[in-house]
Order: sequence, then C-alpha cells, then structure tokens
Amino acid sequence: MAPSDEQLKSELILEELKRRQRDKEVVDVEEERVKVVIFICGGNRYAFYGADIREILPSCEISWVPCLPDYLPGLINIRGDIESVIDISHFLGEETSRHETCLIAMAVKGDFHSGIMIDSIEDVVDIPLSTVKPPLATLNGAVRDLVIGEIEYLGRTIALLDIGKLAGLIAL
Amino acid sequence: MNDQGETVLNLLLFSVGGVYFGIDSEQAAGINAYQGEEAGDLFWFHNEMGFGDATVKYLSPTVITIRCPDGQPYRVIIDLMEDIREITATAILPFPPLLEPFALRKGMWGVLPVEGRMVLLVDFMRILREKRVVAARHGG
Repeated sequence: MAPSDEQLKSELILEELKRRQRDKEVVDVEEERVKVVIFICGGNRYAFYGADIREILPSCEISWVPCLPDYLPGLINIRGDIESVIDISHFLGEETSRHETCLIAMAVKGDFHSGIMIDSIEDVVDIPLSTVKPPLATLNGAVRDLVIGEIEYLGRTIALLDIGKLAGLIAL
Repeated sequence: MNDQGETVLNLLLFSVGGVYFGIDSEQAAGINAYQGEEAGDLFWFHNEMGFGDATVKYLSPTVITIRCPDGQPYRVIIDLMEDIREITATAILPFPPLLEPFALRKGMWGVLPVEGRMVLLVDFMRILREKRVVAARHGG
C-alpha cells in the first residue's frame, strides 16, 4: 500500500475520538430530564413532578364547607374558578399546615385537579430521569402510599410523591 | 326565566357559624323568630349540615318552615337572614369533583361567589330525601 493511501495512526485515533464524542453527544441528548418541585410540609422535604403542578398560589382564603373529611379543608376561588383543597399533611403523617400561612400548589393530572396545601416551596430543579430511584421497599408510614420514587437533593434523600396516587387515595 | 331565557332564582342568604349559605326562596313556606321551642320536626341547621364538633353560636335564631311537596312538617333553625338576592343560574358554580359527593350528601349543590365570599347553596329537599333514605335503612 502506498504511504499516501495508508491511514495514519493519528487519523485513526482522531476518528476514534470523534466517534466517541458523537456517541457521548447522542447519550447526552437522549438523557431525559424531568422538572421536580421540592416543597416543605411539616418541616420535611418532599417533591412532586413539575409537570403535575400548574402553579403555586400564595396563601389564600380557604372557605370551610361542612361535612368534609379532615383532609379536605374546603374551597378556594382562583380567578373565578372554584377548586378543592387537599391537606396533604394528613397523608404524610405530618403536622397540619396553618391555613393562614400555607401555599397552595395547584395540581393537575388527567381529570384530577385540586389545590394542595404545602408549607413552602424549597426549589424547582431539572434532574436526569435516571436519578429518580425507586422507593425503598422498607419505607414506612403513611407516605408509602404516595411515593413514586426518591431523589437526591443537597445530599438528602427526598420522597417524590405521585399526584395520581394521591387522587387514588382520596377517591377511596 | 328572564328575558334572555335564563333560569332565575331568588335566594335567601344567611350565615351560620361564619359560613354563608343560600336557599331557593321557593322552598320557604314561612319565616319566624325562634322562640325556644323544641319539636320533632324542628332541626338546628348546623346539626342538619354536619358541622361536626365546631361550636356554633346563633346570634338571631330564625325558623324556616320548608315547603314539602308531601305536606310533611319540616322546619330548620338558621341564623338571621342577611339578604334576598335574585340571581341567574349561570352565576352558580358546581362543587369541584373532589368535594361534590360529600356536599351533595348534605344537600349542598352549588357555590355562588358573592363579593369575595363563597355562598353554599342548600336544597332542603335533598336533605329531607337523604334523611328518609337513612331512616328507611334503619327501619324508621
């Protein structure tokens, strides 16, 4: 083979490097990310998928309605629409949030829509979907019925809650 | 119906325990001040609605005699009437799906936002019907 036709070692290496780079880019592009809303309830951190939270409302007046269970504190008026409110602390085994200071996370998933009382918003972050771990099988307490996964945030493990599971619990 | 073909309701508005309620005036056959009497056909509104353990103070108890189609006596003690208001049915919002089953069980069938307040609309016929179903279930 004439020297001019022979592929140089450097060319081979360079090609290999470029191929690896392309593969890495493909991997990077395909790494699906999800937005999560990290919030505080009863002094502990929890998270929802951001796609399930339409908006966060500042503390607003919750109109009490007789005969509702404890976990449904009443109604709120959002720009002329009447929505229900869920006190999620009831399901998490946490201390009930104060109505006067709580925030309302408007959750929408399929046909389900309701306000959810939370103490405060900690952060909204984009994380790789692969970092959402399945919930621990040993998870105890009321929270077990709501958890869809676990994520790491500031070195701590946070329970990722499923709005669909919450809707299912209330429908029971 | 009004000129636009909308259903019109005359609502009697009152509050009990800080919660605002409204009933269709067609359901009221009479309104009298409560004189302290007790009778089998006379019920306190907060007991009928399931206020639970909440302490309810009536400032000016008033008896509404409900017009029942079958002529059965049914009277409810509410707090002082605050307003009579004509509204069109389109101003009424249904309860959110999550709350509606609980609300309907106690005769509350809709919500009327009025000046920043939420007025819960009560149908005494629904309450009476529910009471009779429960009584029949218990052989009463």
